[in-house]
Parts: sequence; structure tokens; C-alpha cells
Amino acid sequence: MLHRTPYALALILVMGGAYAVDDYAGMAPEEILQALIDETGSNYLNQSPQNQQMMPDNPAYWVAEEGEELFKTPRGPEKVSLKGCDFGKGPGVVEGAYVEMPRYFEDTGKVMDLESRLVHCMTTLQGFPADDVAVTKRHGSDSDMMKLQTYIAMKSNGMKWNPPMGHPMEKAMRDAGEVMFYRRSGPMDFSCQTCHGKTGQRIRASVLPNINEPEEWTKAISWPAERAGQQNVRSTQHRLRGCLWQMRHPGIVAGSDASIALISFWTDAARGQPAILPDLKR
Amino acid sequence: MSNVTVTRATLAAATVVLLTFGFGVTNADERGQASMVDYTKMSPDELAEYLIFETNSFKLDQPVQEGGVAGDRLKQDDIQKLCTPLRGNPVDSDTAAKVIKIARESIKYPEGGIKLGDWKIGRELAWSGFGYRVGHKSDDHGEASNGPGGNCYNCHQLATDRTGGTLGPALTGYGKTRGSSEAMLKYAYEVIYNPHAYFACTNMPRIGASGLLTTEQISHIMAYLFDPESPVNK
Repeated sequence: MLHRTPYALALILVMGGAYAVDDYAGMAPEEILQALIDETGSNYLNQSPQNQQMMPDNPAYWVAEEGEELFKTPRGPEKVSLKGCDFGKGPGVVEGAYVEMPRYFEDTGKVMDLESRLVHCMTTLQGFPADDVAVTKRHGSDSDMMKLQTYIAMKSNGMKWNPPMGHPMEKAMRDAGEVMFYRRSGPMDFSCQTCHGKTGQRIRASVLPNINEPEEWTKAISWPAERAGQQNVRSTQHRLRGCLWQMRHPGIVAGSDASIALISFWTDAARGQPAILPDLKR
Repeated sequence: MSNVTVTRATLAAATVVLLTFGFGVTNADERGQASMVDYTKMSPDELAEYLIFETNSFKLDQPVQEGGVAGDRLKQDDIQKLCTPLRGNPVDSDTAAKVIKIARESIKYPEGGIKLGDWKIGRELAWSGFGYRVGHKSDDHGEASNGPGGNCYNCHQLATDRTGGTLGPALTGYGKTRGSSEAMLKYAYEVIYNPHAYFACTNMPRIGASGLLTTEQISHIMAYLFDPESPVNK
């Protein structure tokens, strides 16, 4: 019996130490966040223990519940549900669809993010007119758009970001997004890199994520997320709009090709890291 | 034909069409005839410029506070073009030399010389993040009694009663440690006016050269930095 003790001890020491989690399936968003913090000690990731504590009670879960209901309900002039909508993995398949977006869609000939794909399905399948408030209202937890996005994105929680790059359009958009990310312009000479190129930097009291650190960047791009200070669940396009506003760049049209190019690049930058959905942020 | 055969035939036809014409979006020229713009045939640089200016992705025609339209802001000037390829990496000496020359030539000094203004106004200007934002919500400069802010605290720690960022160096005790000689004031003014004169390709905006703040506003911020009574130096 005595000769087995060293092996048991070694095993305990190995298990007790910090090690990278390989599979985040079944983990709650706050557990995924904690695993990344344990792995990296990142000041960005652990800047708000208060927000992390609130995650089990994330209001986004209620928003997602309403989104699931909307998803399954026959709606619009055509009175069909969104079960016929293809998010890239087949009609109605939401499991793991979000982490594989943006992606190229044959039927539109465009690279699309979740928001623009939802607009497409709501108008073409469900028959909503393009100017119907169900389609045009993109912001606010009370909007159809945020309910649906939050629900669909949640179905990718814990899965690794994996936007396809096999199609020439996917690569083209991603590469153009990279150029845009580093492009200095505007009255303050900002590019995205100005704030997001180094680890541990702060803007006022907020620690910024570094795009070159995938473990940080995965949280940075985990939207939809509840913005605690805004008391609303916000989307990826909303985050992009907010960045450009503070950069003193012109306003961007949600779902435009320039917006998709940037989102394409920034999703590729988190490749292989687990999505934290829904997230909770300041 | 069965449904499956129809679907396969359609898919084959669509593939032929797409392979023939490439992948991109349709543009109509003046005669209303569609022409295909193939994103995959452009270099990343070309596509980025195209997406920015030619795809109605940005609200380019929105009027902006400095005059002109938002699209003007996205056109890169000389320093922006020189510094963009660095991607935040340290500047090489050739680029630095060019940038510093352009920056030094841009500097305009206040009429009557460099003077310190009111540090109390400077304190508010340094803290304020208001000004020049457009898009979904444009900042109305008429609403700010001291004009648009300097955004200094976004990047810099200044006085210890407020939290500043760390994107730039801490400026706590700035005047106390350096004194306010004429040379020191000139240096600080030049850094604020066009920091590329000393730090080629810096992340810091060209507060004076880009017209973000007036020389009067800069004098108040300089007072906040140098006045012994300012919280920065307490």
C-alpha cells in the first residue's frame, strides 16, 4: 500500500493546481469566466467580482425566455415561426449556431451576423415589412430583436468561437475588418487598436480587453449581455455603435457590410475560446 | 423531376452563376445596369476603403460639429496614414522623422504668448468627455458652458480625487515635479497641441492641431497641470 502513496499525492497535486479547461460544456457563464480568470489572472476578466456575483441572476435569462417563445410562435403576415430560419447549421438549428457567425449564406450571397440573419428571416420567411417595428427596433430588452438574439446566442454558451473561413467572402470580409481595426482616423486619430492593443490598460476606471489575448477577447465579444449600468441587454451591433461613437467616428448602419467586416475580424480573434452567453457587464 | 433533383439542379445553376460572376454585391451604374463588385478580388486595404466609403455602411453625410460632414472624418491625413501601418508597434526612425517634422510645422502658439489660465475650469475640461460625438446622438457644443471637454482623464491619472485611465502616463504632481519655467510651459503646450512633435505616432490626439480645444481652453488645462493650487499638485 505504501508504494502507491506517491502516485496518489502526485495526482492530487496535479488536480489541485490551475490547469486549462478544455471543454466548457455544461458550465454556467460565470463558471466559464472563473475558469478563464484562474487560467490567466487577467485584470480585465476579474475587474468586477460584483458583476460576476450577479451573473446567476442575470436579467438576460428572462429576456432569452421571451425570445424562445417568440422564436417558436408563428408570427408575421406569413404566420410562421422561425424554425424555418437557417442560421448556418440548417433550418431551426440554434444549438451552436451563434459561435459560427458571421458566416457566408448562399441564399443572400452575403456574409451575415446574427442580427442581419434574423432581419432576413423575419422579412422573407415571416413576411414582416422591412419598416415594421418588430424588425427595426434593435435595442432594448423589450425589443423582439434583443429577445431573439439573447435566446439564440445562449444556445452557444460554453462553445468555442469558430466562425467559418472557408468561403472566399468570409476571408475577404474578415481581412477587410482587420484593416479597419487598425486604421487610424477621425479627429482623435483613434483606431480600435488604440484602446484594445495592450493588456491591462484602463480607460478611466474600466480595464480594457486586449484583442491579442483570446481569453480576454472572448468575454469582450460575448454579446448579447446585460449592461448593468444601462439596465438593458445589449447586442454586438450596439457595442460596435458605442465604440464608434466614443471614437468620434461616424455612425455605422447596423448590419452594413462595414459592420459585418469588423465583427467578422473580432470574432475570428476569439477563435477557440469559450463564449460566455449571456454575459453581464458594467 | 423529384424535389431533390429540382433542388440540386437549382443549386448547380446558382453555383454556375456565382462562379461566373464572382462574389459580391450588385451596384447599378447611371444607366441602371447592374455591375458586380467582387469583394474577393480586392485586396484587404482596397476592400476596407470600399466598405467605408462606397457601401452606405457609415452615415457619411451627417453634419459634424467642426463643420463639413462625418465622411470627412474617415479620410486619413498624412500623420494617420504614416502611423497606421505600425499597428501600435514602436515607430521606426524613418517614420518618426517624417511625423515629427509634420507635427512641429503644425504648431501655432497663442497670441500674447503661453499663459496659464484658470485651473478650476481646467479641472472640469480635463474631466469632461463631452464633445464631437455624432452618429445616433450628436454632442451639442452649445450645451457646454466651457465648450467641448479635453477627455484627459480617459487616458491619464491627474489629481488623486478622480480616477483616470492608464492608456497614457500618470500626470499626478505634474507642475510640482517639473516647475513652470518658460521652457517647461512651452514643452507642455507643444505636447498638448501636437504630441507627435515629441512622440511620433502616439495614441494621444492632437488637441490643438486637430482643433479639439481652443488655445484658451488649453491654457486652463495647463493651469490645472502647473498651478501650485491645482489638485494635481497638492
